[in-house]
Amino acid sequence: MKKGLIQATDWYERTVHWLLAISCIVLCITGLGMMFHSFHFLGTIVGGLKMLKHIHNFTGLLFAVALFLAIKMWWHEAGVFSMPEDLEWMMCAGGYLWEVEKVPEVGKYNPGQKMFFLAVAGFGVIMVLTGVIMWFFPIEFPAWLVRWMYVLHALGFVVIFAFFFVHLYLGTIGSPGSLDAMTTGWVTRAWLKKQHPKWLKEMEEEGTLVVSGEEKKAH
Amino acid sequence: MSENIKLFDISKCTGCRGCQLACKQWNQLRAKQTRMRGTYQNPPDLQPNTYLIMRFQEVEDSKGLRWYYRHQACMHCSDAACVKVCPSGALYYSAFNTVGLSHEKCIACKECVSACPFDIPRFDERTDKIYKCDMCESRIANNLEPACVKACPTGALKWGDKDRLVKAAYKRAKELGDGAYVYGDKFVDGTHLVYVLQEKPGMYAALPKSPSVPLSIVLWKDVLKPLSILAAGGVLAGSFFHYIIHGPKTPDEDTSTKTEGGE
Repeated sequence: MKKGLIQATDWYERTVHWLLAISCIVLCITGLGMMFHSFHFLGTIVGGLKMLKHIHNFTGLLFAVALFLAIKMWWHEAGVFSMPEDLEWMMCAGGYLWEVEKVPEVGKYNPGQKMFFLAVAGFGVIMVLTGVIMWFFPIEFPAWLVRWMYVLHALGFVVIFAFFFVHLYLGTIGSPGSLDAMTTGWVTRAWLKKQHPKWLKEMEEEGTLVVSGEEKKAH
Repeated sequence: MSENIKLFDISKCTGCRGCQLACKQWNQLRAKQTRMRGTYQNPPDLQPNTYLIMRFQEVEDSKGLRWYYRHQACMHCSDAACVKVCPSGALYYSAFNTVGLSHEKCIACKECVSACPFDIPRFDERTDKIYKCDMCESRIANNLEPACVKACPTGALKWGDKDRLVKAAYKRAKELGDGAYVYGDKFVDGTHLVYVLQEKPGMYAALPKSPSVPLSIVLWKDVLKPLSILAAGGVLAGSFFHYIIHGPKTPDEDTSTKTEGGE
């Protein structure tokens, strides 16, 4: 490994992320296959729409576990906004959309990431709860209630599916260097300085910065 | 092709249950052991193996004690909530504009059960499939009337051209007077089982006053479903334009310290 890289995530954080990501993508694809008749070929691939339903349902259980671990792990970092700097960041859209002279410095997660986390956490819980009712109690529960479960499930899909592409873009070509944080976990100092300057400072001050090729020591 | 409907004239029904049996016979549906519940109603409700029942209902009010017999089966809506929600196409509009059901395609999601404004589809745990009346599609495809109509001895059930029977229904309701009315042609774009009823809407058990495709289903299938693709497409297009107009957010420093992660 090249010297001077900084560890942004540990193995556990990346494992939970990818468990959540993969189960979420499988759910989106299998869900699309059921919701749109034009995507029925996705069912044909796995041996029929009924198999697609089973894959969707059981992946949902995996998603529930991953979601629980993700919320537990990220809640205190990404679930709470720190005012007023987060509001200022949002007022200038983090400098992503127009030229901004000075974007407020952000910590480990910027408000955009926090919003994505909250959307996935909130709607993820809704997806699991509505999904459980749709799977296990579609006849036992009152019909009017079950019908609104489908509406909520579809609403959750609208939000999560759209946010997913924002996340995909900003995690790859939209913000070069970001993907490393979720693959190897090692990022460049330049990237950290640009994306999460406050976090870099915090780690430096607390002496928790892990730099490749260096013995762990306080900077 | 001319569109046919089934007309049920409640004033001519004697509650003989010939239709219920004929349905069982034509569809080769076995009966289930039931127990005496102190009512004529048997079986108590629609079942996976009972697509059609006679509803017996005793009502006592100022007019005295009355007994209603109502022929209950799939209404075959022209705007059918079940077809709207069915993800697999198992529920479909047949060539006769009735609502058909292909068991091979049913994936047992049970979405139609809560969608139906008339509470018609029934789920069978044993076969993992949905069951309901298909208006004897195999018969009407061969220019035969549905089995229930064939069996009706009093002419309470009729099968024939939609316009002609609806007209006949209004004529009959007028003839009967005393608040008799036609039920079915005005909502869900017209049902293919139309009633001539004599009691006020809401008096009949398990028959909604003004049924419609539920708002939740319209919101789900006509708003959120297309929105999911539009929103995701919008984000993708937005990302593309962001990339080519604003450009990615790259670290400021010189490239010497910028490295790819990993070995």
